[in-house]
Amino acid sequence: MNTTPPSPYVTLISSDGFEFIISRDAACVAGTVKKMLDPQSNFAEAISGVCTLGTINGVVLEKVCEYLYYNLKHRDAKDVPDMEIPPELCLELLMAADYLHV
Amino acid sequence: MMRLIRSREDAIVVLRCRIEMYVAEKMSGRRAANNRIRGPQSALTDFLASNNISAAQISAEYDRRQREARQREQEEALANGETIEQEHDNEQEKDEESVEIETAAQKKRKRQQEATVSKIKKGKAVKKQKKSKGDDSDGGDSDVAWDMYTKKKPLPGQLENCEECNKRFTVTPYSKTGPEGGLLCVKCSKERTAQEKKNQKPKKQVVSRDKRRQVQSNLLDGIVQIGAKSLQDICIKAVANNIHDIDEFGDLPQELLDPLSQILSRRRAITSRTLDLFLRPDLDTIDLYDCGKLETEDYIKIFSVVPNVRNLNLRNAGQFKDEVIDYIVERDVPIRSLQLEAANLVSNDKWIQFFMKCGERLEFLKLTWLDYSMDDDAFSHLVRYCPNLKRLKLKKCFRLTDAALNAMKELKHLERLSLRFPTSTSSVNLAELISSIGPNLRTLSLENFTDADDDVLSAIHTSCTQLQKLRLTENDCCTDAGFVGLFTEWSNPPLAFIDLSSNRSVDYSQPDGPEEPIGLASAGFEALMEHSGSRLERLDIPSCRHITYESFSNIFDGKQQYPLLKDINISFLTKIDTAIVAGMFRSCPQLIKVTAFGCFTVTDVAVPKGVALIGVPNAQDSIVQEGDVDADYF
Repeated sequence: MNTTPPSPYVTLISSDGFEFIISRDAACVAGTVKKMLDPQSNFAEAISGVCTLGTINGVVLEKVCEYLYYNLKHRDAKDVPDMEIPPELCLELLMAADYLHV
Repeated sequence: MMRLIRSREDAIVVLRCRIEMYVAEKMSGRRAANNRIRGPQSALTDFLASNNISAAQISAEYDRRQREARQREQEEALANGETIEQEHDNEQEKDEESVEIETAAQKKRKRQQEATVSKIKKGKAVKKQKKSKGDDSDGGDSDVAWDMYTKKKPLPGQLENCEECNKRFTVTPYSKTGPEGGLLCVKCSKERTAQEKKNQKPKKQVVSRDKRRQVQSNLLDGIVQIGAKSLQDICIKAVANNIHDIDEFGDLPQELLDPLSQILSRRRAITSRTLDLFLRPDLDTIDLYDCGKLETEDYIKIFSVVPNVRNLNLRNAGQFKDEVIDYIVERDVPIRSLQLEAANLVSNDKWIQFFMKCGERLEFLKLTWLDYSMDDDAFSHLVRYCPNLKRLKLKKCFRLTDAALNAMKELKHLERLSLRFPTSTSSVNLAELISSIGPNLRTLSLENFTDADDDVLSAIHTSCTQLQKLRLTENDCCTDAGFVGLFTEWSNPPLAFIDLSSNRSVDYSQPDGPEEPIGLASAGFEALMEHSGSRLERLDIPSCRHITYESFSNIFDGKQQYPLLKDINISFLTKIDTAIVAGMFRSCPQLIKVTAFGCFTVTDVAVPKGVALIGVPNAQDSIVQEGDVDADYF
């Protein structure tokens, strides 16, 4: 088992090849990604710190990343204002959210 | 006047004369009482006059006192052989003498200041004299009165040393007062204002009215949101907001369709067009919570597009008619779970036909708000043709009576039974029903069975051994002893859900209830918590007004733990106070919602983070405070 602490950044790759390098804390807001990156598991993603999300395209994944940071920022706040969702993305984003458990 | 009155004309002339004389007399009389004509008066004089205070009188008094004082002074002055003017000069000389003693640098400044002061003094003296000399004309009167009550205008050009930086500056109306009471220069004044602003608490963020309303609405639903909403929730809301621009949902999973349907139903946006979005041949569940805008063809469309629907839940389904049942029977739609609300256009015969053809597979049936059809006869067919029913919920089916209650005994597979009958039923029938199907029951919900008595409770005690959820509401026949009997040494494992709302005596001539307590009172409540406290998740005991304060403080003493209790409703229990609620927060670590309408003695309680306390007075302020569960209250 690798004992060196994992990098504070991870990479999410969309279906059309866009790479998003975000902080590990933010990425772990998403339940699915958190499980992928769980150091206890032996998933390839956990070892390499790279998650390929084949069902999510770049535009949607960008919005997802925005949400992850938004969620992290407002972790303990009350009455958080809702994030703006562009109407044309809402259905795809809903599917992605369902897949990622956020 | 002594003229002879000869004609009508003469009479009129005489009359006119008299009137004129009368008016003249009156006028002069008024003038006598009020001997001068007044010009415009000041507002103050008017006000004083309206309060029976005469400004003239006040100023006359004032003048008199002045005159007397002057006289005395003059007498004294005469005795000393001096005039008032000389005294004035004297004063000035004395001042100048004292100035000379001071250092040269200060001299100039001081002199200037003194000059200003003496100028002001002189000005005042002149004014005073003028006034005292002035005659008693009306205008003068009100002027004096006015001057007496107005503030002196700050005189421009006064100079002062700044209290903080000691610089010389001109005093203006905007000059601030320093900490020692002296004046501050412009620069220091500015600095001070800035400091004061900084010290002020940051203003509360102004929340818009809609937002506040939303927060309150969520609170009433028991939702205390900490942190951001989940992305799913945000997206579902966005989808609902743009529902009219969406042509299809794609392969959205069933779990997401349900919350969408709920939001759209609440907005009454389920129409023939939006219905299409929810219909996909591969689905087996349709949940629509408000079908008020759907027509008969739309219901038929559901079954033609989704032929394999197994779970059907249609609320407010007013246009769900005989034809729809015909279609279901004809196509043999494999419905296993059917929930219909207000489907009043289905006739009794159609119900019977439906039960005969499709009853075999039915496992769950919920019928509510049926006031036209579904009578005892149709119900007996239900019992006969739907032997596999596991869950049965009948609420507000207005044509069902005791006969239906009797027939229900044959449904041996029932696991969950929820009933609310519109008419009163006999307690004996209910007890018999529970005795015959009780052993299998997981849920027993009996709402508004006003005639149920202790026999029903003992039937539950003896026959129910697998209950998880028990509801028995709005009853004033069961006694406290009956509840003690139910919960004491009951072979049933601890319950997860207990709702005993409104079990109390309704005789308001005895506010504390009869000697032998009726309804859920202290002993019954303690027995309940003793039996189920370890597994209880939800406890509803609103209006059980015979439970004593001591009993509550024993149960929620902050030491005994109810590890799973999440939701408590203690509305209208007026004995409950802040200490009890605080004890509740300590005794129930999992608590998320406390409903306490009408508990007027619960005030200023420190609500732990993540708990919604609903309904207490002043709820608007801060329902959720951030703090520990250990916030001390004893």
